[in-house]
Amino acid sequence: MSETTFMGVPREKIPWYPTIDYDKCNFCMECDKFCPHQVYEHREGDKKLVVANPNNCVVFCRACGKTCGPDAISFPSKSEILTLIKNLRTEEMVG
Amino acid sequence: MKRAILSCSGMDKQMGSLARELAIRLNEKTGDEIVCPTLLASIPARYEELLKAASLIVIDGCNTRCASKLANRCNAKVERKILVSEAARDLGIDPESGLTPGPNGLKLVAQLLQDVERDLGEEASSGSSVMELAPPEDFLIVTHDKYQFKIPKEGFLFNENDSWARAFGAKARVGVSDYVQQKLTDITYFEPPALNADVEQFGELGTIESTKSLLEIVSPVTGKVTAINLELTDNPGLINEDPYGAGWIAEVELTDLESDKELLLDGEAYAEIVKRKAAEDAG
Repeated sequence: MSETTFMGVPREKIPWYPTIDYDKCNFCMECDKFCPHQVYEHREGDKKLVVANPNNCVVFCRACGKTCGPDAISFPSKSEILTLIKNLRTEEMVG
Repeated sequence: MKRAILSCSGMDKQMGSLARELAIRLNEKTGDEIVCPTLLASIPARYEELLKAASLIVIDGCNTRCASKLANRCNAKVERKILVSEAARDLGIDPESGLTPGPNGLKLVAQLLQDVERDLGEEASSGSSVMELAPPEDFLIVTHDKYQFKIPKEGFLFNENDSWARAFGAKARVGVSDYVQQKLTDITYFEPPALNADVEQFGELGTIESTKSLLEIVSPVTGKVTAINLELTDNPGLINEDPYGAGWIAEVELTDLESDKELLLDGEAYAEIVKRKAAEDAG
């Protein structure tokens, strides 16, 4: 997935992915069952679920968060990410 | 159509107990029958007749959305959904913990009751004055295995999140693409954006749910929501049948289309994105 782009910007330059609040997460794994892009992976130990592949996350998709009972998943601000994408696009064009 | 109310049982978390409280108050105001979630789950036949005749107001406490899932499992018709935890966040109300509703919790319930009563009243009286737009005629076809994805050649602009905008005058009609409706499969519920709400480009314009998945509709344009396709409330499957026509989502009064266009794709460019996505889906 490393060659993928979003709006012409390399995906890995866009910090859009879920963050798990481990104080709230009950490891029901609904988000992982929901996400078809293998963003999450299971682990041994305290943190039984991790955001293993952040760049697989679809930019501006927050659907897994809507499946989270304890509301433990957050995403960055869309407008901040959008500003960043616009700036990166300008750079790409200039560069 | 007759209405009935299905809510969270309210026995697990505080948001659930508020969902239950809202269901009781709505029943007191409207007289609509309450469907007991536990009874429905254990003896579905008890409500078979009612669910055939009525559409549901579904009230979920938290994102686990048990009531929604139950409604889905029973193939019930859903007219309106309320998610209490989300509403609490949107309204900036922080309910007390514990299963007995406290003052903040009750304030939230009162507010939601008022909102839902107003919306149901508006829907009953709203005369649709939506302009007829001619259906697109020429399509690009992206073929992948047995699938064919149609993309209108002219007049539609897309974002990479599979939404389209069709500008007319100072407005745009917005919807989702043929590719994404096929990927979702049978769409069972449409949660509209709020009328008159301001939406940013890439902001949320409601959600659609299918038996398989859930999609946040990512707005292709910035502006104010001036119309919602109310047909979708009764028949969300229109999005599957006619994603570029009768299955439109909303209309937006445009703030600055020229600026939006910077991040939008024409049909040809979007076809390339669909090719890539379809190949990735196939794995």
